[in-house]
Amino acid sequence: MIEIDGITKRYDGTAVVDNVTMTIAPRTVTVIVGTSGSGKTTLLRMINRLVEPSAGAIRLDGDDNRSMPGYELRRRIGYAIQGHGLFPHRTVAQNIATVPVLLGWDKGRIDAKVRELLALFQLDPAIFAARFPHELSGGQQQRVGVARALAAEPKVLLMDEPFGALDPIIRAKAQADLLDIQRLLKTTIVLVTHDMDEAFHLADKIAVMDKGELVQYGTPAELVTNPATEFVQTLIGASERPFRLLSIETAGQAVEPGTADGQPVDAATSQRDVLSELLWTGRDALPVAAADGTLIGKVTLEGLARRAARPQ
Amino acid sequence: MSLRLDKLGVVIALLVAYGTLVAPFATFRANRIVPGEAKSILAALPVGAGVVLLGLMVVAAAIILLKTPALLRLAAAAVSLGAIALFIGLTATYLTPPENTYARVSPASGFWVLLFANALLAADSITRLRPRPGVRVLLLLATLAGATAILVSGLWDGLSILKEYAGRADVFWLEAGRHVALALGSLFASVVVGLPLGILCHRVEPLRAGVLNTLNLIQTIPSIALFGILIAPLGWIAVNVPGAAAIGIRGIGAAPAFVALFLYSLLPVVANTVVGLAGVPREANEAARGIGMTDRQRLFGIELPLAMPVILTGIRIVLVQNIGLATIAALIGGGGFGVFVFQGIGQTAMDLVLLGAVPTVVLAFAAAIVLDALIEMNTPSQNRGRTA
Repeated sequence: MIEIDGITKRYDGTAVVDNVTMTIAPRTVTVIVGTSGSGKTTLLRMINRLVEPSAGAIRLDGDDNRSMPGYELRRRIGYAIQGHGLFPHRTVAQNIATVPVLLGWDKGRIDAKVRELLALFQLDPAIFAARFPHELSGGQQQRVGVARALAAEPKVLLMDEPFGALDPIIRAKAQADLLDIQRLLKTTIVLVTHDMDEAFHLADKIAVMDKGELVQYGTPAELVTNPATEFVQTLIGASERPFRLLSIETAGQAVEPGTADGQPVDAATSQRDVLSELLWTGRDALPVAAADGTLIGKVTLEGLARRAARPQ
Repeated sequence: MSLRLDKLGVVIALLVAYGTLVAPFATFRANRIVPGEAKSILAALPVGAGVVLLGLMVVAAAIILLKTPALLRLAAAAVSLGAIALFIGLTATYLTPPENTYARVSPASGFWVLLFANALLAADSITRLRPRPGVRVLLLLATLAGATAILVSGLWDGLSILKEYAGRADVFWLEAGRHVALALGSLFASVVVGLPLGILCHRVEPLRAGVLNTLNLIQTIPSIALFGILIAPLGWIAVNVPGAAAIGIRGIGAAPAFVALFLYSLLPVVANTVVGLAGVPREANEAARGIGMTDRQRLFGIELPLAMPVILTGIRIVLVQNIGLATIAALIGGGGFGVFVFQGIGQTAMDLVLLGAVPTVVLAFAAAIVLDALIEMNTPSQNRGRTA
């Protein structure tokens, strides 16, 4: 659990982050959104003390994050940034092993961890371990960057626009992979982005920052149905509201009994994507299949329309 | 093979033609200071040898002129260099009258032009072959070994420059030692001081402009003037600091030369350290901090390794510059190869000047090749073979 308590950062008297208080539940994905200059990155960087706050405190599982030297704190918290930040003179394996080496793990444990993470990120250790970062594609570099952040098995992973430099197709894949890995490792993820689609896709809770203040902190559905300010409304986009609602939940959550014709959609597909498929194929229902391929029911146009409407 | 002209080859072939046909190959003088008598290749060598050399040069020029494989061009350069090195030795025995110890035979402009043209050809073909750094150092060693073999064989003993050497062999090696000690010692001192200073300038921004401007200013002081400026403070130290005089600190001599070379060396070392550190990718630095490296770990693990090629480039500049500049030390009794240069100028004995100048050039050239190889070995491969 991360408790952010009245945290403020001032530069030359101007508050960049102004008295922000929020609690991040363990094993969840929290996305901080806002325009550039809203203070979202500064807020993130105060969690691992890359930026020292002017006032307030941050507690990790009850312990003040100033109870140990900053570099020791940062070794316990994963950190991944835009443009991956890999060390160009070190191999992929050496990059991933950075923090375990700093922590003084023995060689066998480090090697095992590197292999495990490479496999987890779908990079064959036999091929990729000895490569240098410039020999990888953008998507592979980004995966190695996240693998490095997770190498010392941190409970918390901070990500600063981690997918910002990726093209849309690779980005979607990277987001899906991140969710899978989060479910597997149960890491608490705090991610900063200015991409609202990304936020709605990934977040359990979204924190909206505007001019240094936390203007709303809630689930994606709360943000759509009950925006706290004009700014949140604008950020979500009035015309996007029904689609945002649908993008939060999966087809599996909208399943109705019965069968339908057509190519089954995966239960993990977002309702928004199912709606799109329905509209495009001109059908009013599609069968839904579970991960193992068994049909579990159908999703109807009517059912989705009901879910996309403003809650009464 | 199509008969097309090589662009650089045309220039080199013209140089070879000029050096072979127009310029004199050797100069004969009755003694070491009178003006000489220029001799063409045919006049400077026994008839058979002269024709052989002319023929060789014609073949070489043809290879150079046309677009030919780089390896063939390198072979042509190596054979030509070997040939002119051997034949210049032959001119000495051929032109010097028997039993005459006053007469001097020295290489003339044609020899130097041929040497330059073929060295250029060798350098160009080596560049085209793109050898690995280790291979380049081996080529250098092979060349030096070849030159040493000729020197030891006595083939060049009749040449004027070696006659000058024969008279001062002891002094030559003494001054050579001083020259190298001066150049390397001041380089070492400038790295020991300049590297931390560069790191400090990188970390403490307000310091940067002041330090770099001061070092720039020092760089603009002429060396003679700097020697003059140093006489007073070093003289004072020698008199007033106990033990200073005992370790050789005086107003003139090796101490001011060392200090001057050290001061000149600081700018390239400090400036390149600052530039190298500034060139470290921002994301790599950011990530290093974000995942928990201490400042020291970041400096030694990330920043210095990534800045190393640029820092080494600064050290290369300093080493080559110092080997050349150390010649000036002789002006204030600091020793080194400059001793022969200035003696030679004083006696209008050009051969003596060459005895000081040629080893200096060879030394600087060798140092440049070795350090270039070192820089390439330290450069991450992305800068070498990047395709995308």
